Amino acid sequence: MGRGKDTNIAAQKRLLNALAEQIKLPLLQIARSAELALQQGSTEALNNIELTADSALKLLDSYLLSLRLNQASTDIFLEPVSIAAVLNDTAHELSKLASSYGCQLELHLSGRYEPIMANRAGLEAALTSLGFVFIEAVSASASEPKPVVKLAAHRGKQGIVAGTFAGNELLTADMYHRARRLHGRVRQPLTGLTSTAGAGVFIADSLLASMSTRLRIAHHQKLAGLAATFQPSKQLNLVLS
Amino acid sequence: MKILLLEPDKILGQTYAAALEHAGHRVQHVGNAQDGISALDNELPDLVIAELQLAAHNGIEFLYELRSYTDWQKLPVLILSIVPPHELSLSLKLQQQLGIAGCHYKPHTRLADLIRSVNQSQTVQAV
Repeated sequence: MGRGKDTNIAAQKRLLNALAEQIKLPLLQIARSAELALQQGSTEALNNIELTADSALKLLDSYLLSLRLNQASTDIFLEPVSIAAVLNDTAHELSKLASSYGCQLELHLSGRYEPIMANRAGLEAALTSLGFVFIEAVSASASEPKPVVKLAAHRGKQGIVAGTFAGNELLTADMYHRARRLHGRVRQPLTGLTSTAGAGVFIADSLLASMSTRLRIAHHQKLAGLAATFQPSKQLNLVLS
Repeated sequence: MKILLLEPDKILGQTYAAALEHAGHRVQHVGNAQDGISALDNELPDLVIAELQLAAHNGIEFLYELRSYTDWQKLPVLILSIVPPHELSLSLKLQQQLGIAGCHYKPHTRLADLIRSVNQSQTVQAV
């Protein structure tokens, strides 16, 4: 019992390390954009400050929510959730950031899905945190002028697969497993995906773990990405999907 | 001065580029090492400003590749990195070997400091 608690504290410390490393980037963007705005009166720099501060606040909120959900060992509040609605809201949430990073954000839902048991706020926070990482990553690595990031769901063998996808060939299962072991201990665990600490990925994984699912490497229409599998609930067909 | 800026974060890259352009320089911004090499192939800049922590290839690999071509061996390089200088493990000898004109830690380097450093490197080149 005590050992389990220690492991949990160690995992939380690693997540906090990754977050601290990650949060340097938006703070740096804000500091330099503010300097530019003061020097040149640039409206674009002011827009960047607003957008970056909002994204950083959302990432911090997602981290705090992951702590709360993982600590609520007895009463995790799962509810019937429409995955289509959550993906749709996430796309709205990410659209401004995607456009400022020059990415095309697409939503792809193949078919209708039964509701799933999840924590709605936690699921949306997980998909948003994941989206932040992918948007930032593809804007640096893609050779095309407007790289695509896709929020998508499809039916898999084990259930409904939902996550974030992009044309990144360097995102492999090996790299992701290594990164899960190393995050919080190294500066750049997801070397093939992003130059940052990729904290959004590990925060998303922690949020999903509280709902008894995990992030895995998945593919959607020839794109590679990170996604979680959810079991549809046949008892909850009254919820609109 | 023509500058090639290798910065993986788009917003940060645009901010640095806008400040340098306002200071009278011409900047080409790329987000990864491969695009950096292609950009050098197309047009030789007077200075390269590079982040070392990149996705896929690291910045040191980029510098070694850069120095492996005869035409690019004397091209001055400024490091502008999110990695603190004491963790970069760049010995003076290695810095000389890789032709690094200066190392800057991003969180402690204001735009004005970067511009000053770029202008200094221009003066050193002229001398």
